[in-house]
Amino acid sequence: MIYIIDHQDSFTHNVVHQFEEFDEVVCTNFNKINENKLNKAEVIVFSPGPGAPKDYPLSSKIYKKFKGQKKIIGICLGFQQILYCENAKIIEQKKIYHGYQSKITVTSSNSLFKKNSKFDVGRYHSLKLQEPFFAKNFEITMRCAISKVAMAFENNKEKIYGFQFHPESFLTTNGNLLIKKILSS
Amino acid sequence: MIKNNYLEKLNNSKKPFIIYKSDKGFDLYTDFSKKIILNNKNIKKFINKNTKLRSNNKETDLFIGFFGYEILNNLIGIKIKKQKTLNFPKGIFYKPETKVKLSNKLEYYNPKLVKSNEPFKININKNSYKIIFDKFKKKIKSGETYQIKICTKYSNKSNLDALDFFCRLVKTNTAPEAFMIKDKDYSIISCSPENLINKKNNLITTKPIAGTLKKTKKLNMIKALNFFKKNLKETKEHNMIVDMERSDLSKICKVGSVKILKKKIVEEYKDLYHYVSLIGGKLKKNTSTLDIIKAMMPGGSVIGCPKISTLNLLNNQERQSRNIYTGSFGYIKSNGDMRFNIIIRSILNYKNRSEISVASGVVIDSNAKHEFDENYIKAKALMDLYK
Repeated sequence: MIYIIDHQDSFTHNVVHQFEEFDEVVCTNFNKINENKLNKAEVIVFSPGPGAPKDYPLSSKIYKKFKGQKKIIGICLGFQQILYCENAKIIEQKKIYHGYQSKITVTSSNSLFKKNSKFDVGRYHSLKLQEPFFAKNFEITMRCAISKVAMAFENNKEKIYGFQFHPESFLTTNGNLLIKKILSS
Repeated sequence: MIKNNYLEKLNNSKKPFIIYKSDKGFDLYTDFSKKIILNNKNIKKFINKNTKLRSNNKETDLFIGFFGYEILNNLIGIKIKKQKTLNFPKGIFYKPETKVKLSNKLEYYNPKLVKSNEPFKININKNSYKIIFDKFKKKIKSGETYQIKICTKYSNKSNLDALDFFCRLVKTNTAPEAFMIKDKDYSIISCSPENLINKKNNLITTKPIAGTLKKTKKLNMIKALNFFKKNLKETKEHNMIVDMERSDLSKICKVGSVKILKKKIVEEYKDLYHYVSLIGGKLKKNTSTLDIIKAMMPGGSVIGCPKISTLNLLNNQERQSRNIYTGSFGYIKSNGDMRFNIIIRSILNYKNRSEISVASGVVIDSNAKHEFDENYIKAKALMDLYK
């Protein structure tokens, strides 16, 4: 079972439908967590949402509690939430991407995806990861082909993944494939 | 056949009636046997009970009316702080006993109409608008909203013949979701172009508009499409709405059934082009009418994105009630089928006051002056009816 934590985004149910293609999904608001079901879930997904990671201390708590025990996936705000818990700085960016389709490149040979392969993806983010960023077992594996901003990280050891872009957006081609690969890793 | 003077007679009879655009012309509903004024206490019961009324499936087995903006917020758990209000009802639905099909040419003209009314006043001037605009732009930079629609309101003291206004309005603008309501103490006239819910059996569609282009002699459909495609700001706004509506539908539809049926196409109307998408899905079993309304309303394309945080930002900002504006008008049939629009490009006339609300979107690359002027252009089309 996959537990999706909704940060009250208007894209969350696209995420729900995308994951439901692969497994049973439970989705609740970030402040109405069903502890019992969360404990039973094999995978936890942090949804996109407005604001910044500091606005969601409950989600940070959940991440820290289950890190290493369950597979954890973050999308957009969820991506930032995980990195924030790993002591990253999440900052405003000069150029803002809302409803923007852009090309990203797989930049690491340790990625589940083939190095140098390219994807068209949909982006909805005001904030970004400040670099350089280092955390044990974490690696930035995808970047915007033009601006080089971090677009995905993988921690294949503890099974923690994050996408700054939206795999569930209609602007992302092969979004289901990305999720399938992460879920089956 | 309906006689030419039917409308005139009906209008003179002072009987309440509603006209709603249909595929081929207009449908007129009258002889109301029930009128339900909605409030936070009776709305859920109204929506649920009405859908269970399974009678003969006559063409009049439906409730037709509107949900105002505030009650739709309350329905999804969003509270609105005390605002200046006209005390206009939060929603009204009628049960008609008569339905009449009208052609596209509505013949009615009121020669005695006194058109000289007080000039319109705006509730937010250019400077205040700029301040709000800059405030919201900061909220976009910090990620609290991705797109937000600032509403400005024009109002005046006026008495109007709603039918006369409506007939003149649809002559120049045959909007696919146009409607009017005339009741004893109020009237609404709207040339809304936007369908929010079209539900038949277990199929549901929504048809958001993001992007409007005024027609000129040099333009055609292909050129209009190229304009929208090349305009990055319009494209991004549209993309955002498409993903948001997909997500709203996904709350109530079967997994894998939500599809973009028409992706970013241009539709041609009498004096404008709209950039439109059509998104649909198959409803999950046991989805109630209330579930559908809560999932889809208030319609996202006129609010901004993400819906909840953006509504909260708007509601903290706005000092005056939106009343009907960005609410929804339409009907729920007794078999559960329904059709609802988004109430925009509308006039509310109540207690001898008219109000016209308009909104345009703030995204990261919009410009305050441009959006303010855009709002004025939208309102002017309606204000011109008073001349």
